[in-house]
Amino acid sequence: MELNWGMPVILYLFLGGLGAGAMTMSAFTFLRSGGGGFGPNYFAEARYGALLAPLPVMIGCGMLIFELGSFHAGYWFKWINLYMTINLSPMSIGTWLLTLFIAISLAYAFTFLKRDASPDDSFEPMRKILAWMALPVGISVAIYTGVLLGAMPARPFWNSPVLPLVFLFSSLSTGVALILLARSLFGNSAVAESDHAQSSYLLSSTDTVLIGFELLALFLFLLFAQLTVGDVGHAASVILFGGTSIQMYGMNLAATFWFWVILVGLLIPLAIELRYVVPRLLHQREFALPRVAEFMVPVAILIGGFVLRYVVVIAGQVTGPIGI
Amino acid sequence: MSKEHKSSSQSRREFLKKVGAGTAVAAGTALLPETALSQTEERKVQYGMLIDTRRCIGCHGCSVACKAEFDVPLGFTRSWVEYVEKGDFPNVSRNFLPRLCNHCTHPPCVDVCPTGATFKREEDGIVVVDPDVCIGCKYCIQACPYDARFINPETGSADKCDFCFHRVSQGSPPACVETCIGRARIFGDLNDPNSEISRLIATNPVSVLRSEQGTEPNVYYIAADHSDEHQAREGQHIRVTTHRKQLERR
Repeated sequence: MELNWGMPVILYLFLGGLGAGAMTMSAFTFLRSGGGGFGPNYFAEARYGALLAPLPVMIGCGMLIFELGSFHAGYWFKWINLYMTINLSPMSIGTWLLTLFIAISLAYAFTFLKRDASPDDSFEPMRKILAWMALPVGISVAIYTGVLLGAMPARPFWNSPVLPLVFLFSSLSTGVALILLARSLFGNSAVAESDHAQSSYLLSSTDTVLIGFELLALFLFLLFAQLTVGDVGHAASVILFGGTSIQMYGMNLAATFWFWVILVGLLIPLAIELRYVVPRLLHQREFALPRVAEFMVPVAILIGGFVLRYVVVIAGQVTGPIGI
Repeated sequence: MSKEHKSSSQSRREFLKKVGAGTAVAAGTALLPETALSQTEERKVQYGMLIDTRRCIGCHGCSVACKAEFDVPLGFTRSWVEYVEKGDFPNVSRNFLPRLCNHCTHPPCVDVCPTGATFKREEDGIVVVDPDVCIGCKYCIQACPYDARFINPETGSADKCDFCFHRVSQGSPPACVETCIGRARIFGDLNDPNSEISRLIATNPVSVLRSEQGTEPNVYYIAADHSDEHQAREGQHIRVTTHRKQLERR
């Protein structure tokens, strides 16, 4: 089975969602300004998200250019045509949205760039304005990737209004994971242990809620697809049952989905985070997520986010309308 | 359309009696012949094709004529013929299903094109691609329920059947129509109730492909075999040979 959209598009959907999620969560944390118990550490977390956000989105968009037929035929800059018009195609809207995103995220990252950036420096007013712009633009980019795939009745697997929500929650969750990962790798050891634990708790509990919503959205996506007789039900079965996926794809897409997306990407991180979040939430015990888990949980979430894009992009293309 | 609705109900009834059917095409274009003539200038043309599969012998003449007309690169097809084999001996059949772009009334490829490179021509309803504008993002390939599109490796742009509009605008029929030895293909203006294609559609049971997609194709079939491999069940063999690089229908 020939795939028109391959690895570059899969990587773009993952990296675009990752960057959008990171910027959204960074702006969200920053605008709370230590409210909601984030404490003095909020600024460092917002800084990680802000500095990391533009890069994956720019790499992802670059990937897309490699997938273009015109690029393969040697017309390397023909994609500029995207900027010659604006119409109601999700891709056209997405192009302008991503351009806006990259501009805002670069400016937002710039306000955090200095090593001694702090809430008291001269960038603060600009930072606030950019954070308010980053929220809607970040969420829009995260949703847009699902709309891009969902806009076509000829692709029954993708043609679901729940798919953009799955991608939105996955984007936000991988965005938090990126901030957690950066913190565990480059975290300042000078930060007081209690402050560190407090912001860990807030990030982990946010992530727990996002994973919960993502599971819910995925459940609804699959449930309604499976209950629909015909094209959609047939398409959904390719990631639900191993037999169908081997017959249609020649590879066990269902096993990939259940193991890497559901188990590794969602259930295991959820279980680990709940194990440490619940005692703090219900019994006010100390939040003591081991440093190893602080590294492993985000890695698992990032793997799950990537494989989710992989499975969805492949499954959408190997299935089609039934009958002629 | 509004002008057509203004025509008196009396004349509409007479006309319907004449063509002997109340199909959508006939009803939508119910005009007296002389009125139709006087309004030719204003009336929009919607070119369409009717493929009488009873007259198709599966010779691939249309595919070859199309290849020659456009110098379509190796491995790609704008027009192709599928063979549908089904049944188990001795109850077997083999039918031919010539395929091409359906030049839909609601083309999903046009809706998703981010550059406006693909559009439906105002003057004759032909869906075309401007290879100078198209960047080859393949969104239209995903959106087409008929798998009619491909990326032309030479231009790097989306490519597909364009009803030979360079010939049609000069008064010649499309290459596949001209070459068809069984005269299985009839090309013409669906908005003209007196055209051969409109008369045949009005007087025959016709079908379109994947009507549930809501695209309202302008390529009609007489006696098309809509069997698909997905429908093969225990004890009934169905095999579709697409004769193109995409071995399976999508």
